[in-house]
Amino acid sequence: MNATYLRIDLLRQLRDTGNLMFVVLMPAVMYLVFGVSLGGGEDAAGAGNVRFYVMASMAAYGAALAATGVTGSAAVEQMQGWGRQVALTPARPAALVAGKVAVALAITSVAVLAVHLLGALTGATVDEPRIWAQTFLVTLAGAGMFGLFGFAVATLGKSESALGVATGVLVLMSFVGNVFTPLSGGMLDFARFTPMYGYVGLVRWPQLEGALAGGAGTDELWVLVANFVAWALVFGAAAVAGVRRGRRRQ
Amino acid sequence: MTTTSKDPTLLLEGVRKAFPGAAGPVTAVDGLDLAVYPGEIVAFLGPNGAGKTTTLDMVLGLATPDAGTVSVLGTSPRRAVQAGRVSAVMQTGGLLRDLTVRETVTAIASLHSARRGIEAKRRIEEVMERTDTARIGSRRVSKCSGGEQQRLKFALALLPDPDLLILDEPTAGMDVNARREFWDTMRQDADSGRTVIFATHYLEEAESFARRTVLIGSGKLVADGPTDRIRSMAAGRTVTATLPGDPEPAVERLLAYDGVRRVELNGHRAAVVTTDSDALARALLTEFGASDLEISAPSLESAFVALTTAGSPS
Repeated sequence: MNATYLRIDLLRQLRDTGNLMFVVLMPAVMYLVFGVSLGGGEDAAGAGNVRFYVMASMAAYGAALAATGVTGSAAVEQMQGWGRQVALTPARPAALVAGKVAVALAITSVAVLAVHLLGALTGATVDEPRIWAQTFLVTLAGAGMFGLFGFAVATLGKSESALGVATGVLVLMSFVGNVFTPLSGGMLDFARFTPMYGYVGLVRWPQLEGALAGGAGTDELWVLVANFVAWALVFGAAAVAGVRRGRRRQ
Repeated sequence: MTTTSKDPTLLLEGVRKAFPGAAGPVTAVDGLDLAVYPGEIVAFLGPNGAGKTTTLDMVLGLATPDAGTVSVLGTSPRRAVQAGRVSAVMQTGGLLRDLTVRETVTAIASLHSARRGIEAKRRIEEVMERTDTARIGSRRVSKCSGGEQQRLKFALALLPDPDLLILDEPTAGMDVNARREFWDTMRQDADSGRTVIFATHYLEEAESFARRTVLIGSGKLVADGPTDRIRSMAAGRTVTATLPGDPEPAVERLLAYDGVRRVELNGHRAAVVTTDSDALARALLTEFGASDLEISAPSLESAFVALTTAGSPS
């Protein structure tokens, strides 16, 4: 994907202020509501405190939401027949998907930055600055997977409601993926197979190194990586299939 | 039709395509054979639902045939598209409403230039100049009229400088002025030697732009040949005149004339289809005392009706 196309698409996304406010501000508000108002934020958790844990979790949800929100708006492009127009160029479906995800990550970085900044201002701390940097980078890079997810739903769903469906499903995946409230027992066993689990586990890795909240045990790194890679492949394949389907008449 | 030794630009052989419908599959294209040679300008004519767009989608690699083969410039449609050798103006949509005209051209050009090494910037200026979109470059697509949007899509289609250009009802939904404007722009490009296939259901567009017309109905080839020959296939001209007095007995007498095929009466106005319009006109004016006489050549539309209903039982 070339810089000219990415620049134009990014400019376009930035003009859509409604969607932009939603994807950037929503996670920040969520953190303020659920993270800061909660008690016990100063307690230790791994190489940091609980507030950092909540911040990292909310930033992960926020990043996933932002990435889904930006690529999910591709549904509108499909409805306008852009997929057919682009199909008349040499651009490969995988390159188009990658370009869309890159644009989504540019906007996602703002969303993650907003939550991390709020975290810093409200007392989220870790023992070493590198943990903060690592958490930020893992959150951002991993959100690419949800860019693929949003794109797949948008191109396969191809209706204005696709974006709403994608973000709704994301909330659900976050609940069952151990993002919001710590799970245990059978729910936790199930959670290991859902898409948010691997991602949020990796986001928390620099701080917790696999330890689960509420003393529910410890995850091996390979479990988290395997979960992440498997779902990224599923969403990636669906996204490429969506580009192919977008060539059809509406 | 003249035969040529050159390889066809487009070759369709036994192409079939069906879509799932409520009551079983609906056949959109039903065993179509067609060859188009370099430099030809061909009108692809048929009523709505004849299978025009489905056929063109297969030529562009946007759909794959269920049976038969489609070959474009000696290769597969997808490869021809990737090489920038075939391009199209599609019927509806295809533009992002919140981009400006220049952004749209730049974005699509950037997707082409990666592979073809086109000097993107110069090419952008060139096509925008040629399609008269340069002066509306900063306008949002959503603010463009239907005619302006089609010209923009025409600009996008010209970007790769294709050997084969497909236009799928490029003037559908435009008013008369916008249509004339579009074809004026189109005509300026016609001398470049490009092969052009355009689908239309505006008969006058086929008559004025294409030397060859391909008629399809219900996914099948109905007729294929020089546009004026297709036109003359609807036998006879129509002579219309106002008859004095009681027209009914006059109609009986008219039907007895040599060459008269059909008489339609509308009040005192009679429309007579005949193969000898000169003799009939003379008779109408002298023997019948008719007035306001008009003679019209058959339209492509009547040719179409004649050809498509020919084989069917009535």
